[in-house]
Amino acid sequence: MSTADAGPVPERRRSVRQDAAGLGRRLAPLDVVICCGSGGVGKTTVSAALGMAIAAAEDKRVLVLTVDPARRLATALGIKGIGAEPVRIPKARLHRAGITITGELEAAMLDMKQAWDRMIERYSPDRATAQRILRNPLYQRITDSFVGSHEYAAIEALYELHDAGEYDCIVVDTPPSRNALDFLEAPSRLTDYVGSRLLSLLSGGPSRFGFRAMNYAAAPFLRLADRLLGAEVLAEVSDFVQQLQLLYDGIQGRARSVYRLLRSPQTGFVVVTTLEPGPFSEAEFFCTKLREFKMPLRAVVVNRVLPDVFRDAGGFAAATALVDDPKIAAWLSQELHIRVSSDSARFIGKTYLTRTTLAQREARQLAKLSRLGEVPIVRMPLFSEEVSELEGLVRIAKTL
Amino acid sequence: MSSPAGTPQRSWRPSTAVRRAIAGERIDLATLLARRVIFVAGKGGTGRSTMTAALALLGARAGKRVLAIDVDAKGDLAAALGSPPAGFTPRVVQHDLSVLELRTDESFQEYLNIYFKVPRVTRLTPLARVFDFIATGVPGPRDMLVVGKIAYEERRKERESRAPVWDLIVVDCAAGGQVESHLAAAKAMLSLVRGGIIRAQVEWIDGLVRDPQRTTVVLCALPEEMPVVEAIELHDRLRKGAGVAVDMCVLNRAVDEPVTAAHRRLMKALVDPEHADVVVQQLGGAPAPLEAGIDLQAHLYDTTARYMRMLRSKLPMPVVPVPFIVDRTGLTTTRAVADALSSRLA
Repeated sequence: MSTADAGPVPERRRSVRQDAAGLGRRLAPLDVVICCGSGGVGKTTVSAALGMAIAAAEDKRVLVLTVDPARRLATALGIKGIGAEPVRIPKARLHRAGITITGELEAAMLDMKQAWDRMIERYSPDRATAQRILRNPLYQRITDSFVGSHEYAAIEALYELHDAGEYDCIVVDTPPSRNALDFLEAPSRLTDYVGSRLLSLLSGGPSRFGFRAMNYAAAPFLRLADRLLGAEVLAEVSDFVQQLQLLYDGIQGRARSVYRLLRSPQTGFVVVTTLEPGPFSEAEFFCTKLREFKMPLRAVVVNRVLPDVFRDAGGFAAATALVDDPKIAAWLSQELHIRVSSDSARFIGKTYLTRTTLAQREARQLAKLSRLGEVPIVRMPLFSEEVSELEGLVRIAKTL
Repeated sequence: MSSPAGTPQRSWRPSTAVRRAIAGERIDLATLLARRVIFVAGKGGTGRSTMTAALALLGARAGKRVLAIDVDAKGDLAAALGSPPAGFTPRVVQHDLSVLELRTDESFQEYLNIYFKVPRVTRLTPLARVFDFIATGVPGPRDMLVVGKIAYEERRKERESRAPVWDLIVVDCAAGGQVESHLAAAKAMLSLVRGGIIRAQVEWIDGLVRDPQRTTVVLCALPEEMPVVEAIELHDRLRKGAGVAVDMCVLNRAVDEPVTAAHRRLMKALVDPEHADVVVQQLGGAPAPLEAGIDLQAHLYDTTARYMRMLRSKLPMPVVPVPFIVDRTGLTTTRAVADALSSRLA
């Protein structure tokens, strides 16, 4: 392997603040904690662990709302399954796993379709409109594939749960977006979408194809679409769009309240990331945006960080000698009184040096986090076991 | 060309090579590269772009004219081939290897241009926006743009020789389940478009996508729970839902060198207090931290083995481990992955 850039980095100035202990305690007074970040960085695990840490810190009723396939979270929490109905995590069970919670901990999974259906029903001026939308074959497709639709459903569910006031603190695990910003922009995007001139254009008047009164700019397109898709599809689109516009006031009003909640001092965002380049730059970008949107960023959790043992100068020297010194195996055989093959010596050196290279790359990434200013950074070490057991989750909750 | 216009839906049956592979033999590289279109799919972060680039390199090395297509258009694929971001027209990155990136806007114009002889003009942009809205809701069109472009490139012929322009097309699919909607787009369109000009085209595309001799999917996973579970679920949906063949699953970042008893013995001796002074002096540093490297290696090896077993028990196809490569992404990594892949498929 190339060791050109692999000189051990001296222990950096503490530009990265280590505030591991007490994140749970610090977040506990909040009503809403939103965990954001790219897919695959361990958001679900961190959300569950945060919920645990909060319930351990204060006598509160805590709900962890997840949108990921919840099987793993359910396994990790030591219960059979999680559905739309919140499930209580037994205190005794948590106690056995090593954490004592003073409050209560529940978990639920977001039902995307249900959230959307309820939204349509809520915002529709009357039952007939709601029914007409829900029955439109395009409805399901749109709610499935519209950018930010999952995010919007999550926000709606959060808002409702918060409004109902049953829980003291709700920890939300956001959907695995392509772009973490989708979550923040979902409400305004939906408002824009429903209120856009584009839709007015499309909804036209109810003539043969629903497009008779169409702005002439769109005419060539519609002729084309007609040729492409046939008239029935266009009629469906037109009907859907017309109905959707009736919901505009409701959606717009709700978007305003949702943003109020997201900006509230009782809300906190926790950005979760790993030190891989993709998720990391996404996280940095997201933090900047939160500031821009005046939404409260409370902590950055850096997951799966290689432990400091891989940045040890002595270890680096020893590993390099094992890899590079051609006479080392013979020397070791003689001194240690065991048979040492040069392959074994090289293997031990190489496994360490591989991680050293990665650990240094990680250190450089971590140093960049100081650019974010005064935000607590919590490093979570790469555990040498996977988190699929309650004990593993408890261990993480304790580092938080 | 076998155009299954009007043929009833076939359920997918593994090709001979795949059946042999299932029976214990491995699929060979030549069989895989003999396909016309390979879709590379998997959860985000599973090394999809690098794998797409590696397959494209292997194709070019085998003397094929290869086109690599990035559906996500984030520039990752071009970077993995050591090229600056490409555009909608294929960019030559090396002999016999070109790359192109799809974007909805351009795809739309190209689509109109190819199929309806509508000239490409900037005026179409507002129309593209209207189209974008409809395409969100109506099953098919947006995905059809992607698949339509791929199918168009597959069918392109040299002007004089009438030989295909590309021998092999490797597609870096967008993250997550989007590959399904791409591959099922033609099928969905068939149920929607009962007549009209494009019916024939859609049928032709559907025929290409569901012909296991010409089109296949390579799944990417990592030795972690979610990527593995998603690969298995994606496989089921692709075969049952879209009726598309899946030839191979690649487990990236596999750690395939076990820690042996001899390694453990040596490690123990290295940190034995009895020899500590001489060892530290000879090696130039205390070797104790190296034990963490050994432990991590052992753990990652076990994890890899566990997920290899899981994938092999659930997927009726070869599961190929590709080792963890420490380099940053780029052509160097791609070459290393290509070498690893070809040595394991040889």
